[in-house]
Amino acid sequence: MEVKEGKKEDKTEVLLEDLVSLETYARDLFTFLPLPVCLISSIGIILEANPALEKITGYQTEEIIGKPIDAIFNKQSIKELSEQTFKEGFVRAKEMDVLTKDGKKIPIRASTVLRKSEKEETIGYFVGFFDLTNIKRKERELQNAQTALLNMLEDAAKDRKMAEDAKNETLMIIANFADGLLVFDKENKVSLINPKAIEFFKIKSNNIIGKSVSELNQVPAFNPLIKIIGAELTEFFRKEFTLRKNLVLEATALPLIEEKEKRGTLVVLHDVTREKLIEKMKTEFVSLAAHQLRTPLSAIKWTLKMLLDGDLGEITKEQRDFVEKTYQSNERMISLINDLLNVTRIEEGRYLYKPQLSQIEKVIQPVIASYQDEIKKKKIKFDFKKPKKKLPKVKIDIEKIKLAIQNFLDNAIKYTPPGGKVTVSLRSIEKGIEFQVRDTGVGIPEDQRDRVFTKFFRATNVMRMETEGSGLGLYIAKNIIEAHGGKVGFESKEGEGTTFYFTLPVEEEFREFLKNF
Amino acid sequence: MKQELTKKQAQKLMSIKGEVRGVTFKTDIEYILREKGKEGLKKVEQELKRLGVNLKYNDINTMTFYPVGLRALSLLVIKNTFNYSDDKIKEMGFFATKVSLIIKLFTRYFLSLQRVFFKEAPRIWRKHWTIGELFPVELNEKEQYAILRLKNFNLHPIYCYYLGGYFCGVLQLIVRSDRITFEETKCAFLGDEYHEYLIKWK
Repeated sequence: MEVKEGKKEDKTEVLLEDLVSLETYARDLFTFLPLPVCLISSIGIILEANPALEKITGYQTEEIIGKPIDAIFNKQSIKELSEQTFKEGFVRAKEMDVLTKDGKKIPIRASTVLRKSEKEETIGYFVGFFDLTNIKRKERELQNAQTALLNMLEDAAKDRKMAEDAKNETLMIIANFADGLLVFDKENKVSLINPKAIEFFKIKSNNIIGKSVSELNQVPAFNPLIKIIGAELTEFFRKEFTLRKNLVLEATALPLIEEKEKRGTLVVLHDVTREKLIEKMKTEFVSLAAHQLRTPLSAIKWTLKMLLDGDLGEITKEQRDFVEKTYQSNERMISLINDLLNVTRIEEGRYLYKPQLSQIEKVIQPVIASYQDEIKKKKIKFDFKKPKKKLPKVKIDIEKIKLAIQNFLDNAIKYTPPGGKVTVSLRSIEKGIEFQVRDTGVGIPEDQRDRVFTKFFRATNVMRMETEGSGLGLYIAKNIIEAHGGKVGFESKEGEGTTFYFTLPVEEEFREFLKNF
Repeated sequence: MKQELTKKQAQKLMSIKGEVRGVTFKTDIEYILREKGKEGLKKVEQELKRLGVNLKYNDINTMTFYPVGLRALSLLVIKNTFNYSDDKIKEMGFFATKVSLIIKLFTRYFLSLQRVFFKEAPRIWRKHWTIGELFPVELNEKEQYAILRLKNFNLHPIYCYYLGGYFCGVLQLIVRSDRITFEETKCAFLGDEYHEYLIKWK
């Protein structure tokens, strides 16, 4: 069968059509390609660029075609890329930057492939690249996140070390603390006991940790402490107890507060054995000295009295004046010695009294009467306000209550200037009676008020106006009233006056109080 | 002032013998689309229609040969329609080299300036035109200039500018320079035997 060759004109037309189709196909493909692609000549000139490349670089077609390749790539990077392409025929994924028309650098990953002619001559090479901007940004973000994380970890490690150091330091302080420390948790169970407390109680910490207050009470060594702290572990301040012979402790319970919430309780045990011993020795010394002094003072008083009474013969007026002054001084010394003895008795717990049911009004009257001369002498307006209704009887040691009232009244008259006013009043209160002495005297300075009832206290303003005074009167008065189950207090304004008051319980309360004795 | 073409002038141009590849229309189309959009192209087609030429640019095939007169008329209509200056025509010639398929096909021979100038340039001409002959006269790479001579090409003076831009565009693909200029030292429309271009680069 004969194969006929088609007409030459027809074939050319078909070839032409195919060529047009091929051109359209190639152009469409090149235009569509989302990756930037360009053709570089063997001497480094951009011969072709697709729209994606124009877009990323910002150049237009006629601007970019014909441009040297190093106009859009770093010279060194593109030199290396070209050399490697010419040498190996291709390059895969080399990271570099593409330079845009407005001077920006865009990170890319470039790949190349060599282009050769039909005669194997190297024409140039294609470069295609992938925009790494987003990847690099993510990398940077990751890197930043990693750095931040590392910094946080580093900070956390530092914080942990600091916390550990602080904890170790705290533990060191607790371990070496001179006072005994007991820490109870929220459930009132022992969570920590320091070596000093272990030494006090002579126990092992393992046997104590985790025990509740009631369980601690089963341990004999803890009985005295538990009596003070109670099952609820409420806050208290400086309560003394004798743990054993020659060991007196002062306990303080404080709540451990964190963010306004109670996390536990700290019990501080301070050894006051030595202080107690010194106090006792001091009291004993004062007692001894006072007793030794009182006897000769009584003898002096007796002799002076005889002289003044003329039992030893007539004395001149001048002599009488001297003897009277001596007598008064001796009286003051006796009074001071009596005060000191009272104090020592109070401190030794020997200040026993003889309670009897009495009308307080009758006890007060003679005390007031004894000050009438002084009141007149200073032209003080004095008022005694009695209640309209009869007051109930109170069980008191009359002599001691007299002494307390005398001390309050003495101060009021002594420190009220001439022409001032002193008012004594009595009134019935719930479950008791209240005694009050109000004066228009010098008042007590505000910064000294917390020391008013302490031993030997004398306010600075009264010391300037009255050199005499032991500073023991209010201390004794307070102890007398409190020994009766009463309470003392005062209100004062410097320059305007002071009101001292005390309460005494009536029979019913008093009975309860007496059970303690 | 803009001088309107007449049907007679169009007919005269259309009667010139010779053919040119469709690719030259294609590069003009791309330029107009970029500068004026589809509306611009439509305007050109309408103006051609007014002159009695029914040309649909989208139907042009890159590799098919068309009358050189039609090509010259098309370029003149573009110039008139958009009131383009001579520099703009020169820019169209320059632009054509960047998008021309035939130039793209020739890039595989762009191995050296010598080869392109002496061997490929006449071939490129012949691939486009059936009239005229392009002669490489001188190439001085040291002094950075080249002289090209174009003979038997008396189509229309508008081509003096267009081809000058075109030669610069091709040269830019083979020398590393963005400062390429030309000067038409001889022109057939000014009484010379041929056109001669001095192309310089820096």
